[in-house]
Amino acid sequence: MCGIAGIVYKDKKLHNIGNDMTNMLHQLQHRGPDSAGYSIYGGTGLEEDEYILKIQVKESEKLLDKVKDTINFITPIKNDAILPSVGDSFIYKCKISLDRFCELKPLITKVDTIDDVIVINGSHDFEMIKDVGSVLDIAQRYDVRDVKGTHAIGHTRFSTESGVDRYHAHPFQTYIVRDISVVHNGQITNYWKVRDPLERKGHIFETFNDTECLVHYIADKLDTGYSLEEALEQSVEDMDGPFSYIIGTPQGIGIAKDKLGLRPGVMAETDDVFAIASEEVSLREVVDTHHVEQISPGEVMVYEI
Amino acid sequence: MNVFEINAEKLTPREINSQIKQASEEYDKIIIRNPNAKHYLSAGVTEDVEIEFDGSVGYFAGCMCEGPKIKINGNAGWFAGDNITGGEVIVEGSAGDGAGQGIYDGTVVVRESVGSRTGEIMKNGTIIIGGNSGFMTGIFMMGGRIIILGDVGDDVAESIIRGVIYVKGEIKSLGHNAKLEELTFEDTLDLEETLTEYDFDIDDYSEFKKIVPESTRPFYGH
Repeated sequence: MCGIAGIVYKDKKLHNIGNDMTNMLHQLQHRGPDSAGYSIYGGTGLEEDEYILKIQVKESEKLLDKVKDTINFITPIKNDAILPSVGDSFIYKCKISLDRFCELKPLITKVDTIDDVIVINGSHDFEMIKDVGSVLDIAQRYDVRDVKGTHAIGHTRFSTESGVDRYHAHPFQTYIVRDISVVHNGQITNYWKVRDPLERKGHIFETFNDTECLVHYIADKLDTGYSLEEALEQSVEDMDGPFSYIIGTPQGIGIAKDKLGLRPGVMAETDDVFAIASEEVSLREVVDTHHVEQISPGEVMVYEI
Repeated sequence: MNVFEINAEKLTPREINSQIKQASEEYDKIIIRNPNAKHYLSAGVTEDVEIEFDGSVGYFAGCMCEGPKIKINGNAGWFAGDNITGGEVIVEGSAGDGAGQGIYDGTVVVRESVGSRTGEIMKNGTIIIGGNSGFMTGIFMMGGRIIILGDVGDDVAESIIRGVIYVKGEIKSLGHNAKLEELTFEDTLDLEETLTEYDFDIDDYSEFKKIVPESTRPFYGH
């Protein structure tokens, strides 16, 4: 199944959006018990050239030193922290500066070559938090309820076709365009047909997960001049299979639903908030209204601030 | 009237349904406060009891019931009234996909708009939609009536075998084995009787379009 949710505060100010999204996702827990994740936008407070890396490192002597050396060789680590996690690994979080965004992916690829190390996320304008387990456990593990932002997307995962681990938890992001991420409910059945032309253009796929091809596809469209709404509309034409998915960008969020309407999506809006989710039970955590709109088959909705 | 109230705020769907089942044997009416769009509420009730939800409900609300008159003062998720064999499910707001899916009898009313595949594979009974109904409304319909006061989406009555769909608004397109048939005087009387019973005020019944099967033995696999 999977559950997806998105929320935008229209006033562009920082709100307790980590708390909001946790409550929304908790109500969608029954749609996916395997893992959960967030992209929380607008609250990182980074300088224009700064990025946050989150790296999964296996508990092993001197492995973290090797990671730090690799990064420092390319750009000095400005500050860092270790986030305790579950299993035999931890999350190493560090802040770096890069002259250009296009230097981020090569840096990540370099770090990824170290055995037992996986870069979970590299971002400028959003904080990605994802892990295996329940929403409430993850929220507590990473203090998500304290994370502030202007808008966010989130996911609860019922895995179907790829592994259950932190890396395969949603959101997925792309490095084609800065700070684009996706959460997805469904399957893209023409995955290889979508992936092949993107790879021929030089876009790098890290997994065999169909959600990853969605985020690269949308970023590729944005990179070639499409608006988010136009990119989502084109995706409804180009993607086969049952799906509803939410894209997060620094400007807002957008949802697209397959032509047969085989995956759910509802929207509610007030003067303050625009919210979308798999089910009304999730919307009710953040919107006090009975006016809930069904997102129609093939329909696209975008809210940008 | 003997009324029982349930505050569903901190209860699970299983706990709520257990209380509804027990109360339905002893009371005339059950009011459920704070349903908070939870799923499966009042599933499988077989007593002639009034059930009123003071708020929105989630998926499969009132499914597999026979007997109760269920009123939802809010919205419903997917599959409202799924597979009922009698009684009523009335949604005062909107509903998601598959409203009245597979019903054998009884009536499902949604006062506002619904999602796709309304009345899929229904065998008998009546579904009334006060607003619009989406894609493939009445797909694989095997009997009964669907009445839509707003517009209907693409491929309405796809692969219909028996039954009838009345649409007051626009029809985007017909599905396979569906055809338009002229509305009869008896149809308008029947519509007026049914819609008046559920407090719908219609000016002109002649505006309804009638959709029926082209063949009772259609060839599948177009």
